[in-house]
Amino acid sequence: MKRTLACILALSMTAAVFAGCTAIPAAAPAAQPAEAVEETAAASEEAAPAGDEGTFVFKHGFDLDYPPYSYIDDNGQTGGFDVEMAQAVCEYYGWTYEAVPFNWDAKDAELNAGSCDCIWSGFTVNGREDDYLWSMPYSDNTQMIMVKKDSGIASLADLEGKAVGVQTSTSAYDLLNDEEGQAELAKTFGSLEVYETYTIAFNDLKAGAIDAIAIDVTSGNYLMSGETDFAYLDEELGSEQYAIGFRKDDQELCDKVNAALEALVADGTYDAIGQKYPDIYNYLTLGK
Amino acid sequence: MTLSTMLSTMAGGMLKTCGIFVLTLVGSLPLGMIVALLRRSRFTVIRGIVRVYISVIRGTPLMLQLLVWYFGPFYLFHWSIRGWRFPALILGFILNYAAYFAEIYRGGIESIPAGQYEAAQVLGYSKTQTFMRIILPQVIKRIMPSVTNEVITLVKDTSLAFTLAYQEVFSLAKQISASQTSFMPFVIAGVFYFVANYAVEFAMERIEKALNYYR
Repeated sequence: MKRTLACILALSMTAAVFAGCTAIPAAAPAAQPAEAVEETAAASEEAAPAGDEGTFVFKHGFDLDYPPYSYIDDNGQTGGFDVEMAQAVCEYYGWTYEAVPFNWDAKDAELNAGSCDCIWSGFTVNGREDDYLWSMPYSDNTQMIMVKKDSGIASLADLEGKAVGVQTSTSAYDLLNDEEGQAELAKTFGSLEVYETYTIAFNDLKAGAIDAIAIDVTSGNYLMSGETDFAYLDEELGSEQYAIGFRKDDQELCDKVNAALEALVADGTYDAIGQKYPDIYNYLTLGK
Repeated sequence: MTLSTMLSTMAGGMLKTCGIFVLTLVGSLPLGMIVALLRRSRFTVIRGIVRVYISVIRGTPLMLQLLVWYFGPFYLFHWSIRGWRFPALILGFILNYAAYFAEIYRGGIESIPAGQYEAAQVLGYSKTQTFMRIILPQVIKRIMPSVTNEVITLVKDTSLAFTLAYQEVFSLAKQISASQTSFMPFVIAGVFYFVANYAVEFAMERIEKALNYYR
């Protein structure tokens, strides 16, 4: 009697747990998991060497937190300029495209461990020149200071004593901490608030908790679209270039992607994809 | 993005969160019992190993453990880690939670007075019979509140899967929030976690009541 009771208990505990949680997603309308993002956990076949077109699986490593280069689009699908370009390169060679969204802080481990073949996600070359094998740069980027229009802050010098927000592990963050960069300027700030995402920093700016945000112009344009109360200071903090980072011994793949980029610029694909992203279009550099 | 697109996109993440939750429980609840029994083994070596395991698991952040399980095979042995993301995640969660459950079980087992073992022995029960028929049912009853606590913590800990870029509900909330410059995804995630935990509370309460058979 008591033994069966113990068994029933163990079973019912598991069952209750199942029942308790499967009911919830079913209640959400039209459950459509973001399939494009889904990792093919079952795919066990090894990627063929890059010379073997058609069967090669190109594993595109990117951060889904970085609109509009790589993000979840309005339809809930993986999208962005970099994602579409990577897909175009795969189409050009007949490769199979595989999305590998990763945690930005673990990007080097992911690349070195081979779970992705490249880091292609608004990835800044400057300051990392020797750390990766780089493709040709395809986009410019500038770091700017975003303020409220009525804040009375008109120049970098006006930021003295003010609270400035920045997202961790971004170019703007690195710049403000780099002695060769803008560390001197950062010392004049009242405080430098480091955020997990710009979304939260932007909300703090709106709410008046901070006075300014140091941000990449491309991300900033995306945040400001649809808003009218914000503006950049005229002075730039710094500027840099985006390219695709490969493992240092992966010259063959790097050359191929470079060749594909040239071809896609020549046939207008690069421009056509760029036009879908007006926030960054003016900063795309190839073919201009 | 409309609210319904947001919801349906996040529904995929909710399913994945539930997946981590269920698989972790199914693995760690029984494994915890094995660990708890080994912890009380009469062999010093086994006791020592289990002690170190529990100590290391409890003494380091789960986030770090997940990274070690996922990247470890490559950095230590140069094995390919293709397709290893999800198994590593579940392995990390199970081994972590088993350590905590083991200590809860041990507390429960040790709370049973020695007199009961002696009485069982006098009545001719074997060691296994004593444990399965007399000790375990009482232990389960006593540890329910602590287990509920741990299970609720697990629901929220599933968000640590973002470390391995697994698209569970919180990672998705972060990403959609970035692309939509909106806090709505976090609100949805918050409601989801609360509802999930409410369901856990409800289920556990029912089980506790059912176990209250002597009142």
